[in-house]
Amino acid sequence: MRSLCILLLGAGAAAAHPVSFQEAWQLMLGGTESVQNFEIYHSYTSKTAFGFHAMRFEDEGDDDYYTGLQHNWLLKRWNLPEAQANVYLGLGAGMAKQDGDSAAPAGLGFFRADYETRRIYTAFESKLIGSEDVSRGVTSLSFGVAPYKAEFEQLNTWIILQLEHVSGMEDDLDVIPKLRFFKGPYFVELGCSLDGEPLLNFMIHF
Amino acid sequence: MYHNILLSILGAWLFLAGPARASNERVMTVKTTVDGMVCSFCAQGLVTHFKKHPAVSNVHVDLTRKLVILEEKKGATIKDEEITEFIKKSGFEPKKVERVTDAFEKVKADKKS
Repeated sequence: MRSLCILLLGAGAAAAHPVSFQEAWQLMLGGTESVQNFEIYHSYTSKTAFGFHAMRFEDEGDDDYYTGLQHNWLLKRWNLPEAQANVYLGLGAGMAKQDGDSAAPAGLGFFRADYETRRIYTAFESKLIGSEDVSRGVTSLSFGVAPYKAEFEQLNTWIILQLEHVSGMEDDLDVIPKLRFFKGPYFVELGCSLDGEPLLNFMIHF
Repeated sequence: MYHNILLSILGAWLFLAGPARASNERVMTVKTTVDGMVCSFCAQGLVTHFKKHPAVSNVHVDLTRKLVILEEKKGATIKDEEITEFIKKSGFEPKKVERVTDAFEKVKADKKS
């Protein structure tokens, strides 16, 4: 039950949409049992967004926490007739702590590159958090296929394989098959790692 | 002499103003080709932006034909520059803007671009 609550409270590392359309807010939350993520950003232009980011890393030893403000940039977008590719950068500043310790100033760096057609999806994402006591990194690589070409108003379905590495965790590399669904402004991902760890991500634009 | 000149001017004004007035009163449909529009989740901004425009009564995104289709309100016009600006604000690359007299639903249902 606790795990389910963590999942529902916590945005998935490989489901990020760091900058949306101008004047949009985007809320992203979710994660796995061992890493949870919460992000809310306001895109004040179509290439820049500012907001809040929180993460929790659960481990057999100490749990790590990070909260901070973050600025995201869409560095480059290629709008092609049948595809779109993006490169994003994010920088954050906040506080991080381990269980039982006091919080210390922390920084976050984020990089994402993706390429998508209506049938193929690929993304690389890396997030690094560092403070005096906390040093974490989440890096993922995702490949997806859409079983059908969904139109704008239809339910979109993707089958995605995500490879994720979280530094400081017992298991170095997670292989996570997942299903992605989105319709209108709502986006949901459901998955489960080969080790049996469930994943849930939710995203909305408003 | 003056009578003929006045009649010619009046005729020219009627010839030029007539179609312009008629097109303002007709409901126009605008088709815009957009590059990069491959994901409906990412294209939500297009609908959000155009729905706020006072001259637009209906919006449709066609991912297959790479089209944004707009229906203008009767007697109202959205400028081509506004259309391209809205599409850029949504993160996409506008191409050709085309105005047609076909009804919005007909253009929407058409399978050819």
